[in-house]
Amino acid sequence: MNCLKWCLFCASLMFISSINARPVSYPEGWTLMMMMDDQRYSIHMHYSPTAWTSVGYRLERWRAFDTNLHSAQINHLVKRWNKFDSQANFYVKGGLGISDGPHDANAELGGFFGLATDWEDRRYFVSYNNRYTQLNDDIGFFQQSARVGWAPYEGDFGDLHTWLMLQIDHMPENEDQIVATPLVRFFKGVFMTEFGVSSKGDLLFNYIYRF
Amino acid sequence: MKTLTMLTFFFVLTLPAISAEDKNVVYADVNGLVCDFCAQALEKVFSKKEEINSINVDLDTKVITIKFNDGKSLDDTTLTSLIADSGYDVRAIRHE
Repeated sequence: MNCLKWCLFCASLMFISSINARPVSYPEGWTLMMMMDDQRYSIHMHYSPTAWTSVGYRLERWRAFDTNLHSAQINHLVKRWNKFDSQANFYVKGGLGISDGPHDANAELGGFFGLATDWEDRRYFVSYNNRYTQLNDDIGFFQQSARVGWAPYEGDFGDLHTWLMLQIDHMPENEDQIVATPLVRFFKGVFMTEFGVSSKGDLLFNYIYRF
Repeated sequence: MKTLTMLTFFFVLTLPAISAEDKNVVYADVNGLVCDFCAQALEKVFSKKEEINSINVDLDTKVITIKFNDGKSLDDTTLTSLIADSGYDVRAIRHE
């Protein structure tokens, strides 16, 4: 596992560049998202027919439950507030698919539903999202997270953008209910990468590529 | 006097070129331009239109400079629609 973490870390350094982790892209845009934190690994590929909706495939591996969830996911931008110096968004996200548990357990129906909102200008960023996941007949849980971010400088279009962020995760059913993760985000062109280390000592790594 | 005549002659010669260039450029004041992704979205959407030569997004002034190909143009309604379809709000379209 340590080897995998270091490979992902090195990959992040190689591909430093980036994008906002928005669940909807521009019209006819594709997005590849790879994320890893203390709970799960996930890969999400989506296509946005419009700037308001995206559809795609998502694979999540929940480490604690030794379970994979394969789902078709739809994200919808319900409302965007465009101001001169800022932007805010409100999204709904949902997925439905099948999960396979440990020891080749039978595939079961699984899915999730959540809300997400964010506000940002060129210097500050705030977001909140929540989600209820039903992994299979036996496992269901709620989780929520919030982020605050600050950009040490305002980059122009095409520059390397850097954000320093703090993410707070709350998962009521976990032993460590609240986990804090300071992280750094690099964003350039069509690439974005984030990495941090949580208060539990776990590595966070996110990578997004838009095309 | 000779210098003044030459300057006047040069100005008259270049005037049509300056005017033609102005006709090829439109400026859009847009709300919601806060990051590179916004600029990329607009670039991707506009680059699919054959009338467009290039666009430039200024995140400081929130102005999109749209340059058309020779002999091509798009009306204000279409430009507003393209920007709205990209997810952003137009405050004004200027042909200055």
